[in-house]
Amino acid sequence: MTLFKKFSGELSDPESSDSDSIDSDEELQKAFAEGKLKSGFVIEAAPKKQLIKNKIGLLQKLDEMKVNLDWIERLDMVNTPARVLPGIEEEDSQQDIHNDFKREMTFYRQAQSAVLEALPKLHKVGLKTKRPEDYFAEMAKSDDHMKRVREKLLEKQLGMERSEKAKKLRDLRKYGKQVQKEVLQKRQKEKRDMLEAVKKYRKGQLNFKTFLPYKFEKCSEMTPNKKRIYKNAKFGFGGQKKRSKSNTKESVNDVKQYGRNFSKIKKSSKKGGSMVSYTNNKRLGKSRRQNVKSKK
Amino acid sequence: MGKRKHVRDTNNKDVSEGKKPKEDVILPPVVSSDEPVPRQKKWINKQRVLVLSSRGIGYRSRHLMLDLRSLLPQSKSESKMDTKDKLFVINEMCEMKNCNKCIYFEAKKKMDLYMWVANVPRGPSAKFLVENVHTMSELKMTGNCLKASRPLLSFSKEFEEDDHWKLLKELFVQTFGVPNHHPKSQPFFDHVFSFSVMDNRIWFRNYQILEEDASLAEIGPRFVLNPIRIFEGSFGGPTLYINPHYTSPNEHRRILKKTLAAKYLMKVEAKRGHEARKPTNSSYDLDPTDDFFTINPETLSATKT
Repeated sequence: MTLFKKFSGELSDPESSDSDSIDSDEELQKAFAEGKLKSGFVIEAAPKKQLIKNKIGLLQKLDEMKVNLDWIERLDMVNTPARVLPGIEEEDSQQDIHNDFKREMTFYRQAQSAVLEALPKLHKVGLKTKRPEDYFAEMAKSDDHMKRVREKLLEKQLGMERSEKAKKLRDLRKYGKQVQKEVLQKRQKEKRDMLEAVKKYRKGQLNFKTFLPYKFEKCSEMTPNKKRIYKNAKFGFGGQKKRSKSNTKESVNDVKQYGRNFSKIKKSSKKGGSMVSYTNNKRLGKSRRQNVKSKK
Repeated sequence: MGKRKHVRDTNNKDVSEGKKPKEDVILPPVVSSDEPVPRQKKWINKQRVLVLSSRGIGYRSRHLMLDLRSLLPQSKSESKMDTKDKLFVINEMCEMKNCNKCIYFEAKKKMDLYMWVANVPRGPSAKFLVENVHTMSELKMTGNCLKASRPLLSFSKEFEEDDHWKLLKELFVQTFGVPNHHPKSQPFFDHVFSFSVMDNRIWFRNYQILEEDASLAEIGPRFVLNPIRIFEGSFGGPTLYINPHYTSPNEHRRILKKTLAAKYLMKVEAKRGHEARKPTNSSYDLDPTDDFFTINPETLSATKT
């Protein structure tokens, strides 16, 4: 069993397993001190493989099977991946095998450079490369299949759009909420400040003008509306209303109001506006009244 | 399948008229069966590929095989091979089908797929493990191409560097390349097969050429070939190359299991060790005479009575 007992550090490169498979404890300790061994449990090392690479045989076979034909018969090319953009540096693609996007991109660019190399060559020979619109022939994928592909693409695109829309809405809502919050906070703050100022004013730390400068000015400019004035007069705002309706000496002595034609005076004064003495309205004699009637 | 039409420009044809080139054969709409069918004389590169699989192949691998068959007009089909048959039977099959190349899909354990690519009568042949298979019928592959147009073959620069890669490149060119003027092939160039070496594997992709400015769309299939061995003969013979980086899927699964088991074993071992190391009596020695004079209240009361 000791034959296979090795540490994980050695498993990674099977080619360099030149050390003895039977390791003494001392050797292991030494190796551990040097940092060659990782801590971890024991893993079986892969048994040594015999490596064969018959260079001469490979080349001989290559020569044997090669057919001497023009490039147009073979259409093979050796390409390095095409450059993405002149400014961008190419990264080392060998290390990104597990990065799907980068890996596929290198393959894509390799194919691209192949196309860029081959098409001019073919044009030079006089071969057409682009299929005209009216050339119909059997395709690798059926129309039905392509329809499904298109549907899928469309669905995906729609889904993306929908999600983007939802995202935007979500963002907007978030923003709106924040704005609302800010407004509320501002209002609260104003109120708090106001209350504090009022408190201070009450204590006499502030005078009226300093704590409400603009509102004070505004007040001086403003006049109360007429309705208010009337109501104030009627129901009281400013001054005692008690006993204001009881008779006084003057009101008692004012005889004008009492008389036969009190109501008429009131009416006419409302209509004409000018004061009319009731002597003018004295009833005429009978004959005169009849005359007036006949004239009408 | 549309027959190949004239795709050369007329003025170009005039120039080459002096040399009397071999004429492109266009079949009339009605052909009597008694007459021998005229041959395409320009068709020089006569590669024929037998594409077949073993029994017990999964659905995905079967689709992959069918995709390759549909993309390669020079391919021929054969019914599934029995798993118990010896591999060199395929050589005879190829001879009967008049094929000089072969792609053989070998399924094992209903989960692992191996692919043989062989140059039939005289070799070489290569065996690969096929990983990460995506077929052409997957909906995320959006491209499309003519069924039998000739693909451009693009290889990454690693194929020039090492001897075994060089050999594999030649093998791929001859199997995957559609011969010029093949009777079933179609004109125009609308797709690229790209072979790239990454992580000691060969990554196969098939792209449609959308525009002349090299914008592409993937058609599929896509798969990764992990080379195992290259043999001198077809389906056998002495080994020319063994891939040192290759671990068989069985081995891989075994190691995974083993590491999981080791974790449990470590835990058990640690528990046992802890038990063994736990002290049974107190950690330092006591003198038994130390508490000789301490009074035990019970014994005291007992003596009183």
